[in-house]
Amino acid sequence: MSTARAFSVALVGVEGAIVEVEAALGGGLPRMVIVGLADAALGEARERCRAAVHSQGLGWPTQLVTVNLSPATLPKAGSHFDLAIVTSVCAAADRFDSAVLDGMVLLGELGLDGRVRSVRGLLPALLAAVASGFHTAVVPACQLGEARLVDGLTIWGVDDLLDLVAVLVGDPPPQVVRAPQQAVDTTEPVKDLSDVMGQLEAKWALEVAAAGRHHVFLHGPPGVGKTLLAERLPGLLPDLGQSEALEVSAIHSLAGLPLSDGLVRRPPYADPHHSASLASIVGGGARMALPGSISRAHRGVLFLDEAPEFSPRVLEALRVPLESGRVVLGRAMVHAVYPASFQLVLAANPCPCGNAGTRGAECRCAPMAVRRYAERISGPILDRVDIHHHLAPMSRTYLKAAKATGESSAAVAERVGEARARQQQRLAEHGWLTNGEVPGPALRRLLPLPKGVDLLDEAVSRGRLSARGVDKVIRLSWTIADLAGADLPTRDHLHTALAMRRGEQLGEVTRARA
Amino acid sequence: MEKSAVGRAGEVAAVQHLVTRGYTIVERNWRCSLGEVDIIAQTPGAEPVLVFCEVKCRTGLGYGDPLEAITWRKLARLRQLALTWLGEQPGWVPRYRVDAIGVLLPRSGRPQVTHVEGVGA
Repeated sequence: MSTARAFSVALVGVEGAIVEVEAALGGGLPRMVIVGLADAALGEARERCRAAVHSQGLGWPTQLVTVNLSPATLPKAGSHFDLAIVTSVCAAADRFDSAVLDGMVLLGELGLDGRVRSVRGLLPALLAAVASGFHTAVVPACQLGEARLVDGLTIWGVDDLLDLVAVLVGDPPPQVVRAPQQAVDTTEPVKDLSDVMGQLEAKWALEVAAAGRHHVFLHGPPGVGKTLLAERLPGLLPDLGQSEALEVSAIHSLAGLPLSDGLVRRPPYADPHHSASLASIVGGGARMALPGSISRAHRGVLFLDEAPEFSPRVLEALRVPLESGRVVLGRAMVHAVYPASFQLVLAANPCPCGNAGTRGAECRCAPMAVRRYAERISGPILDRVDIHHHLAPMSRTYLKAAKATGESSAAVAERVGEARARQQQRLAEHGWLTNGEVPGPALRRLLPLPKGVDLLDEAVSRGRLSARGVDKVIRLSWTIADLAGADLPTRDHLHTALAMRRGEQLGEVTRARA
Repeated sequence: MEKSAVGRAGEVAAVQHLVTRGYTIVERNWRCSLGEVDIIAQTPGAEPVLVFCEVKCRTGLGYGDPLEAITWRKLARLRQLALTWLGEQPGWVPRYRVDAIGVLLPRSGRPQVTHVEGVGA
């Protein structure tokens, strides 16, 4: 009985685990057995591999072929093991010197005609291979661009099984990258801030949010521009850094989006409809959990329009990822961890008719209905949102002023970029990029406290601010100071931050005045 | 070549293969109501094993290797046939097994014989 082994990668979340694919020939009538917790797609590799080998005129062994995927207890899914399976079988049949397989991972799905097809999650798989000390990778030729994004690997792109054999016998085919290497612009078509009339305060709130990666809650009557504004937030954000781009690209790769144009450089944007299921938002699936919207919005923006219309279960599920920046999806066999550090933007009407608290408009809802509507977004979620902004409808004077076009996204993005640079200067030594991600204790111990913290003591003692709220206000005040070019938040900055944070009371204030 | 002629030629090649390896042929084409055992043979040596052989013969690989045509259903029937044959014997047979022999009869040249031992496990 002859045996051989090749290596591939199993994906658990965005983490890859090296899988040893062993093949043994002999010991029974000709057939193929795959053992090692393979899912349906992987089990069907049996038929794909045999047909592919036959159709390329490479003989399949007429013996019992046993393929073992080790570690045997790790559940494996997907079709990307095909190449490693064929390679280990051919090596066991002594078609080439199996020494070449040391330090080599093989990823790719086979077509019945022997073509090598693209696979999901190539980027995270290759990152795992590098981390485990592998030096060579064989990938589908059509994904050569994506594979080359990983440093430290010799990459061979193969179009079909004959190419694979050529690589294994030391006569590799010419390597051609199919697509140009350019940054992917995921925010197309570009939406500019100058499209929005008036709403200067809201635009400023958005600027602060963009600068410090703070969560925002926009509420106001219908038609004031909540959605319009939220859609323009990604355009204000700076490009992703190298490590961020790798994280985001890895998730894109898992979600099956092409990366042939290079790493994803723009912050992603996800705006699921309010009918979205829990699994589609946080991620899910029976055996292998797939990333949901919160992970697809990693390092970018998650916009929940008409937030009270979302199912309460979906909204509450955001609590933990909002704090930890990741989501752990537990299944019987595995725990998949996906990064989910997103910037949350919520938009909501104040009541079912939309007019509650709006000056000059009549709300037709019963007081209880207004209250119930507001309660659909729970306190714990609202407490995690840094900026609460109430948008008022434009008055006539505003309309006149709005004829002159407002600031463009590019101008605001420049200020945001400068504020980000200040933050990085201050926070880089601790490993953070923005004020929004600095943990509470660090905020109070590692950084100097803003001037005038007595303002916060007062708010806390009146029960207007939670302990988490204090941290949020301090973070906000830092961002406001960064935008103003100050080295330390002043009492004024803290005041502004406090007002932005307590925006949820703005509605009440407006109503009282009206 | 006719279908039955291919089968017979394959069995001849299989018998030759067994004989050159020192097997003693006990019976050929033994039939009962359940079906047929192609070859019953005995291994050489001090502790002989009785071998029930299924022979599959093909003239080309267009429909796959001859051995691939031996399904688990055929093997199950072969095991039953083996027990039936053993039941009819007066003596005690201490060891037996089921083998499969694939014969490829090319247009020209010698037949290629593949012998897989103990497939009925």
